[in-house]
Amino acid sequence: MTSSPLPLDHRTSGRRRGCLRLTAVAACGSLLLAGCFSSPTGARSTPSGSQTSEGAAEARLRLAMLLPPRSGLTPFSDDAFKLSRWSTAETLVVLDADGDAQPALATDWSRIDDKTWQFTIREGVTFHDGQALDAAAVVTALTAATTASPKPRILDGVEFTAAANADGTVTVTTGDVDPLVPQRLSSPQLSILAPDAYTTGRPVNPVGKGTGPFELVAVNGTSTATLDRYPGYWGDPAAAPGIDVSFVPDGTARAAALRTGTADVVEAIPVSQAALLDPDRIAEVPMPRTNTLYLNTENSVFADPAIRAAARAAIDRQVIVDQVYEGRADLAAGLLGPALPWAQHRPTRTPAQAGAVDGPTITLATFTDRAELPEVAVLLEQQLEAAGFQVNQVVKEYSFIEAAALAGTFDAFILSRATVLDSGDPVAYLYSDFACDGSFNISQLCDPAVDAALAQAAATEPGPDRRAAILAAEKLILQTDAAVPMLHERVIQGEAAGVVDAARDPRERSLITVDTSVAG
Amino acid sequence: MSQTIRSGAAPAEATAPVGAEGRIRVARRPRFAAGNWIAPVSRAVTLLGVVCLVGVLPWITGRDPAQTILRARSAEQEATDESLTAIRDDLGLGSGPLDQLGHWFSSAVHGDFGDSWISGTPVLPGMLAALGVSLTLMAFAIVVAAVLAAVIATPSLRAGLRGAPMRTSGAVAAGLTALPEFLLASLLLLLGAVWLGWFPPYGWNGLGYSMLPALALGLPAGGLLGRLLADAIAVSFTESWVATWAVAGFPRRSIGMAVVRRALPGLLPQIGLVMVALTGGAVGVEVVFAIPGLGRATLGAADAQDLPALQTGVLILLIIGVVLGIGAELGRRAVLGRGLRNGALPVPRPTFRYRRRQWVIPAMMLTLLVIVIGVGIWRDPYTSAWPKLTPPSAQLPFGADASGRDLLARVAHGAASTIGIALVVALACIGLGLLMGLMPRVAAGPIEIANAAPPVIAGLLIAAVLEPSAPAAATAIVLVSWAPLAAHTAALVKEVQTQPHVRILPVLGVGPTRAMFTAVLPAVVGPVTRHGLLRLPGIALALAALGFLGLGPQPPAPDWGLLLSEGLAYLERGPWVVIAPMGALIVLSVLAVSLSNLAAPTRRRRNTAAAPSAAAAEAAIPTTSRELTLRCR
Repeated sequence: MTSSPLPLDHRTSGRRRGCLRLTAVAACGSLLLAGCFSSPTGARSTPSGSQTSEGAAEARLRLAMLLPPRSGLTPFSDDAFKLSRWSTAETLVVLDADGDAQPALATDWSRIDDKTWQFTIREGVTFHDGQALDAAAVVTALTAATTASPKPRILDGVEFTAAANADGTVTVTTGDVDPLVPQRLSSPQLSILAPDAYTTGRPVNPVGKGTGPFELVAVNGTSTATLDRYPGYWGDPAAAPGIDVSFVPDGTARAAALRTGTADVVEAIPVSQAALLDPDRIAEVPMPRTNTLYLNTENSVFADPAIRAAARAAIDRQVIVDQVYEGRADLAAGLLGPALPWAQHRPTRTPAQAGAVDGPTITLATFTDRAELPEVAVLLEQQLEAAGFQVNQVVKEYSFIEAAALAGTFDAFILSRATVLDSGDPVAYLYSDFACDGSFNISQLCDPAVDAALAQAAATEPGPDRRAAILAAEKLILQTDAAVPMLHERVIQGEAAGVVDAARDPRERSLITVDTSVAG
Repeated sequence: MSQTIRSGAAPAEATAPVGAEGRIRVARRPRFAAGNWIAPVSRAVTLLGVVCLVGVLPWITGRDPAQTILRARSAEQEATDESLTAIRDDLGLGSGPLDQLGHWFSSAVHGDFGDSWISGTPVLPGMLAALGVSLTLMAFAIVVAAVLAAVIATPSLRAGLRGAPMRTSGAVAAGLTALPEFLLASLLLLLGAVWLGWFPPYGWNGLGYSMLPALALGLPAGGLLGRLLADAIAVSFTESWVATWAVAGFPRRSIGMAVVRRALPGLLPQIGLVMVALTGGAVGVEVVFAIPGLGRATLGAADAQDLPALQTGVLILLIIGVVLGIGAELGRRAVLGRGLRNGALPVPRPTFRYRRRQWVIPAMMLTLLVIVIGVGIWRDPYTSAWPKLTPPSAQLPFGADASGRDLLARVAHGAASTIGIALVVALACIGLGLLMGLMPRVAAGPIEIANAAPPVIAGLLIAAVLEPSAPAAATAIVLVSWAPLAAHTAALVKEVQTQPHVRILPVLGVGPTRAMFTAVLPAVVGPVTRHGLLRLPGIALALAALGFLGLGPQPPAPDWGLLLSEGLAYLERGPWVVIAPMGALIVLSVLAVSLSNLAAPTRRRRNTAAAPSAAAAEAAIPTTSRELTLRCR
């Protein structure tokens, strides 16, 4: 074999060429840099000329949010809640703490007959693009929602048309008798955007099209969004000059943002991180979300009510709240939790008698998308085994388990369920989960008494009577032991020192309001 | 003479007549034509195949994409027939897979890669922007890796110049390489952003934002490259020309430069693989630091079943991989050029001082693992018997996790299942590698694609078809891990066939098939199996990486990746929750590295057997099983 040393002349010239190449790479690198970073929003920026009368610089709010936009911020999806949390899009109606309707873009409304409602539109409101809000604009927005494909969640199974009247009012007609029309119109999914936002054939684009105190001026994909104060707002102008939003799906990173002072308001801090934060910097907000164990009443050992009662009696909720949620959750007294304050006035129940359990094998299923649920399953398995059950766990991603759960494949299913969705009213949830033909009836429950109570509640006008009817239905459901409510979750909101008046909304509709500000 | 038939790959070869000299020459021309033709077609077919596979995913999985898309757009919405039908019509899902694919291809030719199913906006601009971000991040990571590699290789160069070439013990490099990127990213976030406060914790708004992610990506890559470079330098110093130069009085500086230049080309394929590994590793890092890069975008698209976005993302990732692979090969040829063509590469004399210590480290690591498994396997990994985050004690040597479960038991049970699955994967890779290695040109495309696809991407695709589970993760790793074994097999087959005792067989009337099974395969199976088994720890690490991203076993299984991802959130409150699985992973990594060290010299000697194929073999055989580990993140 010949050894062939590399010629020296090649080596030296190669080195020189190498240097040239390095320089070129460095130049390309700096070009790349200019193009490949997102627009800077992390640093606190103070727009010139936004001095308050006291002369102190106003500070923009930096907000770290959990979920990035999923569908280009169209209001006909869950992104609608972002638009309302930033106070950029507004609805005709808003809800108060009890879930009753209050005026917003509509100043007044009345029920003409069973299926017809008339809304008076607020005057002097302009969209961020300068157009004036009128009945025609409202009709354009609502019609876009009713003809969207698919329909937004709030309009599922609802026939709904809107028409402008000569006197500037809007008439809303429903297909069925619906006492909840004003509540429905409070859903952020029915936000009123300027007519230009709804170009046919294109996704709805909310940039610069809202009516709220903040104007959405830029959206940078799934990483950031920028909002500026809208000087032409119909109410008092916003306290903060603008909002810089970052989407940070990682919980540790969100908590770190609060600790390092790179965000002023932080959504949804994970329980595991909350203990590391200054207790003054976090606020626990009760959520209308119930962590529930659904028992299969049809084809499983739980078809026997006495066995269901035994399972209910075996569960030690306090251990779950302490261990998994570190005390940052509320023990469930019923299906509806503290996010609905009136639910605590529920009638007393007569619990079913627990029967003997002689070692039946059951399948306990849940999903991984919510990190606490597998941990809850660990504890439940232990508690049920202590009561004489043999437990097999099935844990998968939600999209792989939903169909099987709905088909009644599992004996028991742990689910964190939202109890009020868009209308602020829990009847839709109770119906879909516990009525014979409910679409989300994991328990496979079919009880004529429950169905009757739910029909009664659905037909009652909003107000104290409806609430009483709902609680009566809840009592009947709980007495079947088809569902064992374990706890009500809280969302942990982080607020830096100096943040004033950030909304702590159980419905997660508002966050940065017209009053929210931060010391600069 | 039967070399025209040896690979049995192309139809033209299979039918080629054997025996008379003249007819062989006739057969040779189609062989070349076929050879030139088969490999590119194989590449194109494989690439198209992967894209088609992504395109028909909904029809393979039997899961309804309309349902997933509804959930992504609007959680907790009732999946009424009305809304599902609306989505199906919207996306044209009703028309069936073939129509969908045909439409996609005809638009893709015009640069239109479709609209996102979730947002309704065109996919390509967003993906290209994400690509820019990822490439920038990778560029920074490469700078970090290059600096680190230079630092690690320096002692080796010094030792060689002193006239005592030695392999590195690799401890520092192994330690660096042992930390998976996602873990390193979380540690750096904690250290650099929270405790020191020097860097922003997340985002991608300027240079300061790129430091921690670049370190997380670049340190393992640099550790690996540094170790490889150090070894290659040590080997180059044993070549005879170095002594000749030294005797001829060349300055040490010149000799040093020449040795580095001699050592680098062999590394280029590895550098290519490391770059591909960066694409995979970037997924985890981008998730931790909320960087809007390609990996995160593709992972998100897979989660939401946004097929157009997933198709485009996977296609771009694969193209990056193929380009890097071709670039590395071209680079190697350019640097090595004449020597490679002439078959005049110098041959190293493996005359290292073999130290007993070389056996000590793997033996120690193995013992540690055996002890942990032996003690922990009898304990209960599932019951929450302790208070949350109980610190380690005599009764509970590794402490308890956030659910109050015994971590020693979980690590031990996790080891048993992880290593068991890894063994099955390794055997499957060996079988597949042997099979594909026998038809190298047909396999060229699949080999390149398999090398270009980080296991994360394969894991995503397989998880979408099979749903995330241990078998799905195992399948995904097999799909991308057989390629090095196939390349190794191909190189060995070539070598064996040039040996006299095999070349004589056709003359003796032994048919090609029989020759293959009686003479060639037996000589190949041994080394390939050894090689495959050396990859076992790397495969186990890859399984853990998939588990960490939620693409592997599901809770409450005590999978190591799951243990890590569950524990990460409690890093500050109960460090032992992370230390236990992390320690186990490091032990496994060190085991992998030290094992590959033991194996290296024999490989070098074998390469000297046939000079023309030596370069091919050098390119094909991984110098270390660590590269698999790295690729797997």
